[in-house]
Amino acid sequence: MLSDPHSPALAMQGIGKQFPGVVALADVDLTLTGGQVHALIGENGAGKSTLIKILAGVYQKDSGSIRIGGVEAELRTPRDALRLGIKVVFQEIALIPEFTVAENIFLERHPVNRIGSIAWGKLRADAKALFDRLGFAVDPGARARDLPISTQQMVEIARALAHEARIVVMDEPTSSLTPKEVALLFTVIRRLKSLGIAVVYVSHKLDEIFEIADTVTVLRDGRHISTKPVAAHTQDSLIQDMIGRRIEFLFPRARGPARSDVLLSVRGLSTKDKLRDVSFEVRAGEVFGFFGLLGAGRTELAKAIVGFDPIRSGEIAIGGQPLRPHDTRTGVALGIGLLTEDRKTEGLMLEQSVQHNMSLAALGGFAVAGFVQEARERSAVQGFVDRLRVRTPGLDRPIRDLSGGNQQKVLLSRWLLRGLKVIVVDEPTRGIDVGAKSEIFALIDRLAGEGHAVVMMTSEMPELLGLSDRIAVMANGRITATMPRADATQEGLLSAAIA
Amino acid sequence: MPQSRNLLRVLTRRSEGPLLLCLLAVIGFFALASDTFLSVRNITNVLGQASLAMMAGIGVAIVFISGEVDVSCGSLLAAVAIPLIVVMNATNSLALGIAAALALGGVVGVVNGFLAAYLRINSLIVTLGTLFVLRGGVYLYTGQTAIPDDAGLESFFQLGNGRLAGVLPYPAVAALVLLLVFAYVMGHRPFGRHVFAAGGNPDVARLAGYDVPRIKFAGFVVSALLATCAGIMLASRLGSAVHVAGLGFEFQVVAAVVLGGVSLSGGVGSLFGMALGVLILSFLANGLGMLDLATEWQLVVTGAIIIAAVSFDEFKRRQKL
Ligand SMILES: Nc1ncnc2c1ncn2[C@@H]1O[C@H](COP(=O)(O)OP(=O)(O)OP(=O)(O)O)[C@@H](O)[C@H]1O
Ligand SMILES: [Mg+2]
Repeated sequence: MLSDPHSPALAMQGIGKQFPGVVALADVDLTLTGGQVHALIGENGAGKSTLIKILAGVYQKDSGSIRIGGVEAELRTPRDALRLGIKVVFQEIALIPEFTVAENIFLERHPVNRIGSIAWGKLRADAKALFDRLGFAVDPGARARDLPISTQQMVEIARALAHEARIVVMDEPTSSLTPKEVALLFTVIRRLKSLGIAVVYVSHKLDEIFEIADTVTVLRDGRHISTKPVAAHTQDSLIQDMIGRRIEFLFPRARGPARSDVLLSVRGLSTKDKLRDVSFEVRAGEVFGFFGLLGAGRTELAKAIVGFDPIRSGEIAIGGQPLRPHDTRTGVALGIGLLTEDRKTEGLMLEQSVQHNMSLAALGGFAVAGFVQEARERSAVQGFVDRLRVRTPGLDRPIRDLSGGNQQKVLLSRWLLRGLKVIVVDEPTRGIDVGAKSEIFALIDRLAGEGHAVVMMTSEMPELLGLSDRIAVMANGRITATMPRADATQEGLLSAAIA
Repeated sequence: MPQSRNLLRVLTRRSEGPLLLCLLAVIGFFALASDTFLSVRNITNVLGQASLAMMAGIGVAIVFISGEVDVSCGSLLAAVAIPLIVVMNATNSLALGIAAALALGGVVGVVNGFLAAYLRINSLIVTLGTLFVLRGGVYLYTGQTAIPDDAGLESFFQLGNGRLAGVLPYPAVAALVLLLVFAYVMGHRPFGRHVFAAGGNPDVARLAGYDVPRIKFAGFVVSALLATCAGIMLASRLGSAVHVAGLGFEFQVVAAVVLGGVSLSGGVGSLFGMALGVLILSFLANGLGMLDLATEWQLVVTGAIIIAAVSFDEFKRRQKL
């Protein structure tokens, strides 16, 4: 039966949800229409993911109703949601690491033959056909754990389409995709629209909202603020709705010019797999940005210079002192630290408290005669929670309970608390809302102003142009161009990145 | 030359490859060191002995793959022999005896599974608990002696002592059949893949609509039933329900499972790997015994080999990363 593509596919009404100590959602409405993209936006911790998890059957609503095609729906388990045609691509990537790509795609429903054995041939062929149709270049036989995050994300999206979902929900799907992959994703989303599928799209990237969404719902502090056609919004009005105030300057600049003393010097750095003869210097008070396409070697570089990964040849010096490669202890002692790109596996201790996650690298500083002074630790941590507006029900809460963006803020604070000379940040604003972004930019600016050196890896061109003093472009593990910001243009950077 | 290198690559790529080479090395070494080792009689005897650990090992491996632990099989081996022998003595029926044994095994599996999978109590603690409770129960019931089989059924005797075509012991045949069936289930039935998924990443499995507790629960029940089968075979071999039967058996099984490349953290492993692990340890014990090495030294050598093998696995895995 073909339903009218513009009748409401799903209506959530008066949804409320509480966690101990937090009202995550209070009286929120969301109405989805087949063939339309409905954007859901709001600050970190506004309740977007919670709303989506209720839709996915992961959390139970405390109040309100959900109707699908006019019928009251009970979504008690993820299985219920899948059966009703709701497929969610989560913010945290969700694949079985040891399974192949093809098997991950058909995880919900392994194709079987007459006698109920898994039809491996069909599984692989179907996955291949799906990728071909979507234009994704992914090997269906590859193991999920061997793939970079961006590819895993594409597999996740393909997975949503492998099942005849009527409602597809994407929670920050582009946070680890390259511009080309984003364009591909948008093509896919338009195809979903043309099939009459309702799409929910969560993102902190406002330009994406304007490009792909038909309708926008804004949440703030768990409450419904507005639902309007996207055409009725401007960038400013969206930000106004999201954070309840305006942002004057996204890229504030209060610091003076860089000083002359070199804090980080890297000479002829090569690694086994990726990096080839990378050399650069960063001075006190300088923000040194790295641009590059995915796979250019930025993350590898970041990990090598902080001593996390082994190197094959080359020298790294922090404030004139040589850093023993592959040794983060001396790295931290010399004053270099990394804010990683992959916070879930490399950054967070999920079950531990916000406080312990934040103070991890700085504990020595709070210790007197080997005992950590709890009160000092706590007040320092509280200071950063306030400064970065981390939304947390308490410092003793496991960090698992925080929203994705707030987890990122805690990680950034970890190094700020430690007081480093050189801070390396890899995609520092992934999943962070505009308000917090401007806080983080201001913070990076202030750190540089205080005489720190900041190395910033990012694929967000505006951030790079807005914040850096100098910009290096990487391609295939080499630096292909270095330029002062004044000389950098989007075109110039891109062409050096493709070289 | 390139042909053989290819073969080597295939062997070392699959996790079973190095194990197979290790098994061949063990067999080769003892074949040279002792002239009776390679006799048909000795080999089939070892297979017969290995079959109990193999049967129980299938279940334990499945539980490990699902992300849990089961160490209760040692006591279960002794416990299920009691209803088996008692019912057989009373009714003269092998079928009823086996049914009684399976019933007890099933109950133990259900209890383990309920506590560990549904109530989420740590499975090492739960199954360690059942290990103690069952052994204590066996001592209490038997008064620390064996309960002899008075029915004297030929079919019961044949179960553990007979040989297929006069060569291959029935327990070995049963273990092989069970191994093939469960390897098929784990590799080619959706259920088996659900077990891997539940152990590999339980959150993902749940989001994909799996009932993760039920999958893990099923693992515990299967494990207990397979240990029951091993217990029945052992009782037949011993001709009675022996209160100290299977003491320390759980350690042999866990050692073989781990040696076979099954990950303690779940989601990784193969039943063929487990089977090779059992065979390596069995041939090793047999061979060392033939060399008149004291049992103390057998323990030392076995322990060292397990540590070496698992370290090798770990290094290989790290190199890949
Ligand atoms: N399992 C949980 N237990 C306790 N509190 C939770 C839990 N999950 C979410 N919260 C809280 O609910 C609020 C809403 O979180 P949610 O993840 O929905 O935010 P979000 O809008 O998705 O933010 P982000 O943009 O950072 O992803 C936050 O304050 C968060 O700390
Ligand atoms: Mg979220």
